[in-house]
Amino acid sequence: MTLTAPAPGATRRRRGDQHPWLTLLAWIVAIGVLMPLAFLALAATQAGWSSVAQVFFRRLTMTLLVDTVVMTVLVTMVAAFLGVAAAWILERTDVPFRRTLLVLLIIPAAIPDFIETFGWINLAPWLHGLFGSVFVLSLAVYPFVMLPVAASLRRIDHRHEEVAASLGTGRVGVILRVTIPAVRTAIAGGCLLVALQLLAEYGSFEMLGYRTFTTEIFTEFQVGFNTQIAAALCIVLVVMSALLVWGETVVGRGGRRAVASEVVAAPKLRLGPWRIVALGALVVLVVAAFGIPVLSIASLLISPGPAVLPSASLLGAVGYSLFYGVCAASLATIGAAAIALGSQRARSRLRRAPGTLALVPLAVPGVVVALALSYVAERYGGGRWYETSPLLIVGYAVMFLPLALIGIRSSLDQVPASLTEVAASLGSSRSAQLRRVILPLIAPGLGAAFALVFLSTITELTATLVMIPTGVATLATDFWTFQTNLSYGQAAPYAAAMIVLAAPPLVLLARLGQHRGEHHR
Amino acid sequence: MVLVASVAMLVASCSSSASSSKHLVVYSGQHPQTSAALVAAFERATGISVTVRSSDEAVLANQIKIEGSRSPADVFYAENSAPIESVASRGLLTTLPASILSRVPARVSSPKGYWVGVTARFSVMAYSTTHLKPSQLPSSVLELADPKWKGKIGIAPAETDFQPIVASVAKRYGTTRALHWLEGLKANAGSHIYPSNEELLAAIDRGGVDLGVINQYYWYRQAQQVGVRSMHSALATFAPGDPGFIESISGAGVLTASHDKAAAERFVAFLVSPQGQAIIARSSSFEYPLAAGISTPTGEPALSTLRPSPFTVAELGDGAIALALLQQAQLL
Amino acid sequence: MNALELSGVSKSFGDHVVLEQVDLVVSEGTIMALLGASGSGKTTLLRIMAGFEVVDAGTVTIGGVVVDDGTTAQAPERRRVGYVPQDGSLFPHLSVEKNVLFGLPRARRRRGAADGLLEQVGLAGLGGRRPDELSGGQRQRVALARALALDPRLILLDEPFGALDESMRAEVRDEVIGVLRALDATAILVTHDQDEALSVADRVAVLQHRSVVQEGPPEMLYEHPADPELAKFLGEANVLEGNRTGVRASTALGEVLLDDDCAGCSGPVRVVLRPEQLGIVEAGEGTPGTVVRHQYFGHDAMTHVATSGDLLLAVRHEPRRRLQPGDAVGITVLSPARAFEKDPKTPSE
Repeated sequence: MTLTAPAPGATRRRRGDQHPWLTLLAWIVAIGVLMPLAFLALAATQAGWSSVAQVFFRRLTMTLLVDTVVMTVLVTMVAAFLGVAAAWILERTDVPFRRTLLVLLIIPAAIPDFIETFGWINLAPWLHGLFGSVFVLSLAVYPFVMLPVAASLRRIDHRHEEVAASLGTGRVGVILRVTIPAVRTAIAGGCLLVALQLLAEYGSFEMLGYRTFTTEIFTEFQVGFNTQIAAALCIVLVVMSALLVWGETVVGRGGRRAVASEVVAAPKLRLGPWRIVALGALVVLVVAAFGIPVLSIASLLISPGPAVLPSASLLGAVGYSLFYGVCAASLATIGAAAIALGSQRARSRLRRAPGTLALVPLAVPGVVVALALSYVAERYGGGRWYETSPLLIVGYAVMFLPLALIGIRSSLDQVPASLTEVAASLGSSRSAQLRRVILPLIAPGLGAAFALVFLSTITELTATLVMIPTGVATLATDFWTFQTNLSYGQAAPYAAAMIVLAAPPLVLLARLGQHRGEHHR
Repeated sequence: MVLVASVAMLVASCSSSASSSKHLVVYSGQHPQTSAALVAAFERATGISVTVRSSDEAVLANQIKIEGSRSPADVFYAENSAPIESVASRGLLTTLPASILSRVPARVSSPKGYWVGVTARFSVMAYSTTHLKPSQLPSSVLELADPKWKGKIGIAPAETDFQPIVASVAKRYGTTRALHWLEGLKANAGSHIYPSNEELLAAIDRGGVDLGVINQYYWYRQAQQVGVRSMHSALATFAPGDPGFIESISGAGVLTASHDKAAAERFVAFLVSPQGQAIIARSSSFEYPLAAGISTPTGEPALSTLRPSPFTVAELGDGAIALALLQQAQLL
Repeated sequence: MNALELSGVSKSFGDHVVLEQVDLVVSEGTIMALLGASGSGKTTLLRIMAGFEVVDAGTVTIGGVVVDDGTTAQAPERRRVGYVPQDGSLFPHLSVEKNVLFGLPRARRRRGAADGLLEQVGLAGLGGRRPDELSGGQRQRVALARALALDPRLILLDEPFGALDESMRAEVRDEVIGVLRALDATAILVTHDQDEALSVADRVAVLQHRSVVQEGPPEMLYEHPADPELAKFLGEANVLEGNRTGVRASTALGEVLLDDDCAGCSGPVRVVLRPEQLGIVEAGEGTPGTVVRHQYFGHDAMTHVATSGDLLLAVRHEPRRRLQPGDAVGITVLSPARAFEKDPKTPSE
């Protein structure tokens, strides 16, 4: 009746597992991403608890802690207010010129924070300290709250609001008690992004004269070159970031279930005469966040004033920026793809771990990554890789791989497991499944990841200043050199070049995001 | 045909002379206003191409220490003497020949001959002419810690230029008093802490702050940029011999790791040569050339009229004391 | 040689035992329905056949070759088993034609090579469309064509008609089954819908309590279920307590003729009567009862009648007259009933 010979090609298999090589690769990338940070922690502990404690409990550290927290809280609150208000006006009212306003309000996201600050300071040099920081940075970072909240408002089930209204809640009450809690996840996520950005920001605060942890780490690194102090401060920074990430998961929890199964457009609130007011408010925001900095830079381009420093090669800087951008984006995208494909669908927690571990650098400011890599290169690399292009590219890749990973993961999530199973039933080996089914379907995600890392690399300043090799200059470093010498006229073209180079990836990202939304329905 | 051939030969000879030896890497902590013209002139004069890595001198000093014998740098050109002295004390610089060292006074170069002083700069007060009259100015840098200056001064403690002043005060009055003085400065400055002397001067000039201590050349550079008439600030010196009125030296040396010491020495020699020093005098540097017989930069008081404190580079050493004091005062 | 044999198949996920000692034989050319409630493990069983899961114990043999014996298992891509998932799972980035030709070697993936298959499933000319331009039923048929393109030894369909609208369902079902019969394919169809299982399949296997409790032609399962629970599962069933003596049992409906010829059997039994085995008569005849609910379906009517002893009986009959709740009627038994011995250990209904 039955033959007892085993079937050809029979091996022990478990559903959903990727090729072991892929999983191994995922682990290698994840460890590679975490290693420098581990070493930095090691450096801090090697200093001995007493000297580290000395740094922790210095009055200056405490002052910096308070200052950093105060600034972060204030800016996050203002940015959240601006972001939620703008999102609500755009998505839920009949304000005119919605489409145009949406684009204009999002653009500041592509402009690096320090360029925004530069634009403002050129026109208003008296912007300084805490007030200046809160004012300028809120304008720079609110899009990161506005975007997710707007997307969330589009997707949530607005019928809850109708039910609340039918039960007698006033309009304002509905907004405060139903709408905003429903988009709580989006608000929390946006605030997290904003806060992490603020903790990592260096250039803006240098220009505004506000001392934070990151500016201090930088100063320690530059002036004292006391790795221990720098490493200890880094630990505080990372702990703060980790707390923020944890906080977001707690706060954002409730809102996730509110997504509607059918997307029925919510009715727009008719504003009547308030339309003008709403439009005016949004226009003011656009002008402040986008118009004024751009005009300021444009005015510098038109009349730059006398050259303070010998001019540098703009094209050369563009070349290097593009080069680093492409290399870092390629490395990060490939690494993130390896992690996503090698770990996301695995059944065991252990095999899925690389996906979570690789997200850690999100909470680590760029300067810390830069210091960590420099430290590793110095201590263990025999100084050979110190201040070299490959190390810098690795630094960018480590910093931005989490961004790439998030994009690729959500793209991969949308590929149902049944597709690869069906492909298997049709005779596709695992590598054929990858090649013919998975990769084509996550291609937009890969493209978005590339664009995002490219965009982030071109506009990166802090880590670049730490790790840039001799004789090399990127747009950001040349800009910074001119800026610190107060040669604003010479700095302006570099600022403008950064904005121009950042625009196409942003447009691409926006397009891909749109397409994904349409596909889903 | 002949023309093409001769041009080709010319190009070939140029490139061959360039490639046959010579390429230098200079780590420069000096402002580009000072170094750029010098480097360009050197390249023209000698045909040796130079790659400059410009960065903060403390960063560069540290980089040299880390890179050690593997460093690609040939020359270190520092803005202040402490960082280059710290590199020298690690044995990372070679001694310079007497022909180079004799071009400048002995007191401005490394006592052991590891580096040579190229330019001198002086720490002075910059004050807002709209807020202060010359009669209101302090005569000693110590007075700036007095409560009466609360909210009126600005400081740039992260500036490497500031460290020699701190070392000078510590040398004169001891570290305890220096620490108190720093703490007083910190209290008086409040939120007016700036990352660089450029920004400090800009703040003084627009009236955001009444007074600050900078190196004199910053003022002259800004005046050249915007025109003297647009400046709302002026310079003044402390009393002669006051520890706040010091001469700090910008020097250059050849690294032991240099792969072409001869060429590197030529570069350093060029810096203190009449040609090089004249370039400095004419440039937007506004630092004082140290070689004998070179004229003072336009608009600045002659070197002989200045009476700074006798604090020397030898006494400054590698500036470790200043760094420690700044950290103790929680300014760093 | 049988197309498929399962022997002693067991599968657990962690602590949760899904399948235990499942035995099943499917001969070639048969369309078998695998029927079970949600969560009964039928999809898992199907996935084991396809190779997406491996057994913990037991063997799976396809076409005479052991593909899974608990130690080693053949990968799905080598089994030549067609798989049609619940929603078709067409590749969204490929056209219909490319979808259908997906499993073929590159040399055979030419333009127009799918035309024959598409015509077979009634979708001629739609090769250039994309999956999101098709209706649910069309997608299902493309998925079938795609699986058939490889001339598989066995086709597995996971609730293929479950996601379709009621109106489409019968039509698509007929088409798909028609194609399978025309090709004399061996197919296993997983469903939770008894009507579907009974109407399309050559044989039905019922998955209950982690194993196959009965397998056979639909008529056999319906008319001779293995136990009262199965009887209820396959359709409406009235279960009465009774005491049998030979071929008769005394029940609340009086003496009922039983359908087996166990003349010597006696003792307490459960008697199963289908609604269509009972009849509604005028009050005064048969067993007295009161109408509790009357449902009119057009082609027939279902009346629920309460009799003495709190017994609620379902009666399916021609819709002669409109009955109202509260009407007094009589119930008659029209054909022999099935009797099941009462197992003292089985909890009573």
